[in-house]
Amino acid sequence: MKILLMGHPNVGKSVFFNRLTGANVTESNYPGTTVDYTKGWMKIEGEDVEIVDVPGTFSLDPKDKAEEVAVAMLHESRDAKVIAVIDASKIERGLYLAMEIIEEGYPIVIALNMRDVAEDKNIVIDADRLERILGIPVVSTVAIAGEGIKELVSRLKEAKPVNVDDIIANAANTSDTESAADAGGAA
Amino acid sequence: MKLSTGERWDLIDKISKETVTFGAYKHTLKDAIGELTVKPMTGIPVAIAIMYGFWSVFGSFAGFFTDGFFVRLFDAYWLPWLQEVFPGQGGWIYAIMVDAGGIESGEFVLSSNCLESFGVLTSGLFVAIGVVLPAIIIFYLMLALLEDIGYMPRLAVLLDTVLHRVGLHGYAIVPTILSLGCNVPGVTATRILETKKQRFIMMTLLAIFIPCGAQIGIMQDVVPDLMGWILLYLIIGYFVFGYILNKIVPGKAPEFLIDVPPYRRPLLSNIGKKVGGRVKGFFVVAIPFVLLGCAIVGVLYQLGVIRFLGDALAPVFVGWFGVPKETAGPLIAAFLRKDLAVAQLSAITMTPYQMITAVVLVSIYFPCVATFAMMLKEGWKELLGALAVLSVVVFTYGGLIHLIGILLGVA
Repeated sequence: MKILLMGHPNVGKSVFFNRLTGANVTESNYPGTTVDYTKGWMKIEGEDVEIVDVPGTFSLDPKDKAEEVAVAMLHESRDAKVIAVIDASKIERGLYLAMEIIEEGYPIVIALNMRDVAEDKNIVIDADRLERILGIPVVSTVAIAGEGIKELVSRLKEAKPVNVDDIIANAANTSDTESAADAGGAA
Repeated sequence: MKLSTGERWDLIDKISKETVTFGAYKHTLKDAIGELTVKPMTGIPVAIAIMYGFWSVFGSFAGFFTDGFFVRLFDAYWLPWLQEVFPGQGGWIYAIMVDAGGIESGEFVLSSNCLESFGVLTSGLFVAIGVVLPAIIIFYLMLALLEDIGYMPRLAVLLDTVLHRVGLHGYAIVPTILSLGCNVPGVTATRILETKKQRFIMMTLLAIFIPCGAQIGIMQDVVPDLMGWILLYLIIGYFVFGYILNKIVPGKAPEFLIDVPPYRRPLLSNIGKKVGGRVKGFFVVAIPFVLLGCAIVGVLYQLGVIRFLGDALAPVFVGWFGVPKETAGPLIAAFLRKDLAVAQLSAITMTPYQMITAVVLVSIYFPCVATFAMMLKEGWKELLGALAVLSVVVFTYGGLIHLIGILLGVA
């Protein structure tokens, strides 16, 4: 099995990579630290799994050479699963890339990283609900502190391709039931 | 199924409305510091203070270990001991490995220090371990701190306007600063620039004008008084030739958008790992090259090749650049390691201005072999282009520096 770590620049992909594989790729606090991919191995339930630290990219429409490397890596690995790493304090942009990857049919799990930074900014994310809407595992993490990494690994097997129509339907449904509940409460 | 960009954003909007609540945003101390270091009025003084601090710590740390410890160890114990026990004094193996010595009033005399001896086991080890190792340890330690705190993107914002003049943008400071450690990761980091034009300009400027940490370390040790002039010539060259390249290289130099990350407290473990990894890289890659470079130059001296080259190129060296013809030897070593080349220059007798010119020439004349290989990996067309620019730069700029010296009456 092969797993790609993908996400925007400076969201912590390399930190995940090092925690997962015990490797030693450079981690820094600036976008563009990783400009080439690194491969590593880990064992999940007895199976050897290849993990790839992919350079950060904003979308699947590359605008520099590092992003080209990222998109090429994704397209070369048709049978891979993806861990989409999202900066929880900038969730919408992260979801944009995740949606693009979902639309291409890749099985995916989402790591909502830097939960601590989001909390500092008073941003609260209902991860369970996000998970129900998207139909894929969503795990809150603080990768530099190692929080949530185990849960992420244990839920990798639940990664599956999802139909975009289902997501659209789920998004519409929850907002219906929600507004219905609100209406009921008001009455 | 694939969505259009608009549909995708609509869906995400809907999802985030359902799942995310944005509370009131509080302006924190972190934000305040963040703003102070980005706004030009306060940011520029802070940047100058940080650079000055960087430089002072670098100089005193490297000086403390090199002058206070390694110079004594190598010159007072290691060199005399090897001169004593190594067999075949005066022979060519002895000259290459330990001490080439010198001829004084017709007699062979041994060198008195590790910079003059030119031996693989003396000069080679002294330069690699005694001078360069302390310099790169402290350099990488401070670089890692700046990286992990999150200062680099702020420096990028501050320098954006200036770097646009040379066809780049603020983020070009990242490859530039990484190159001050070692040009190799600097060349790789050019991938974060958007267009071919920017990558070409950046790579060329790095290869020519940015001295690596090893080279700065040895300069700090052997020509501390001349550092200011040498760096000034390199910085001026970076901007002048960047300006010219921007005018003549076709292509676009777009604006950049950047997420300035929040300041973070650096993790000691990460700093340790990064510095450890880079220093290990130095041991594995650089030290063999220093020793190899020492050996090759030693052999070429013994075979008379360097004397021959020096004599053949004397009109260029003496006439055009205004440096002694013996500079030919260090320039050959510079292809393997620039730090070694500077060390060898320091053993040649010349005036301070000649030394400035020679060190600048060693810096700009050719990228070291590791950088060369990395540039080749990024694209042979760019490499050829960069080498063409380099040849022009070496001759015009080298000659210009000589001319400035003549006009100032110091050359």
